[in-house]
Amino acid sequence: MSASLAPECNEVKERYDTCFLKWYSEKYLRGTAKTDECEPLFREYKACIGKALKERGIDTMLEEARADNAENDKEYLKPSKGS
Amino acid sequence: MVKFYSTEYSYDYGFSAVSLAYFLRYPNPYSRHVASTDTIDRHYDPETHRLTTTRLHVKRSRLPPAVLKLLPRSSLGANEDGSTQSFILEKSVIDVKEGWMETESRNLDWNNVLSVIERHSYKRPALASSGEEMDISNGVSLPKDEERTDVSVSVTLKSRIGEQIRKRRQRWGQQASATSVTGNGEIVPVEDEPVKQSWFSSWSSGAVRSAIESISLQRTEKSQPKAQKGMSVVLARLQKGGLQAVLEGMRNDRELAV
Repeated sequence: MSASLAPECNEVKERYDTCFLKWYSEKYLRGTAKTDECEPLFREYKACIGKALKERGIDTMLEEARADNAENDKEYLKPSKGS
Repeated sequence: MVKFYSTEYSYDYGFSAVSLAYFLRYPNPYSRHVASTDTIDRHYDPETHRLTTTRLHVKRSRLPPAVLKLLPRSSLGANEDGSTQSFILEKSVIDVKEGWMETESRNLDWNNVLSVIERHSYKRPALASSGEEMDISNGVSLPKDEERTDVSVSVTLKSRIGEQIRKRRQRWGQQASATSVTGNGEIVPVEDEPVKQSWFSSWSSGAVRSAIESISLQRTEKSQPKAQKGMSVVLARLQKGGLQAVLEGMRNDRELAV
């Protein structure tokens, strides 16, 4: 599996990724998924990575980028759909 | 002041395999510089069967020497040799019923110098012969699928140097004694600001912007075929040895990168 940017989250990330790949292949792609069965694991992983992003100051960069990009989209990328 | 790059191609694999490979594409032999990939948001809508994912990739990158010549290193957060960490925010939406996936990736860090937005659109062709189920792990297989997926890619490059000058000017008054943290964690006074201002002013007419966009476009033209090759490697591994082969391949690629 790919590594997490935060080594302390690698273990829970691996458990989540494994769950996701199985769910994605067996349920999602077959159109039989009723819920995201890996959500409880994702919440655990997200708590870990959320903390790591905060500690490294990356969370602010993410927020700024999202706000900035929204503004930028309006200005420069009017109706340009990728497809 | 915007440059575009676009291309279209197809993979000889079904949509299921391609969408799965998309999630598993880093690291690969053509992208060993991807140090980490984290899913930071994911939402599945059972009504529409759409899956929305936001991921953060960290890449070790080296700025092109040509860009380093144009801009003060300090403005790019790079080390002396131009090596830097890049953050890429990637959003993807998959609709398995309708058979498409739209992705969008943006660079986050030297965003104030150059914004790069890469969009991919993957489509299951309307009419195609049906292939076999692909066995990807003990007891896990991908559904029967057409053996082709169409891709269209567009990259938008936009230099943001002018905006940076405006922001810097606004900040000037407030930051008379600004300090900056170097790569080693030392705090050093920012003494090059006035120099940079005059430097930027003399160039702000767009020459730098346009040069940076051109250099980045050349880079994109080189990196896009590599991204495509990287996906193909992951797809071949998936077909040959299933998930295990993909994960082993990743492990090897990561070891080779260090």
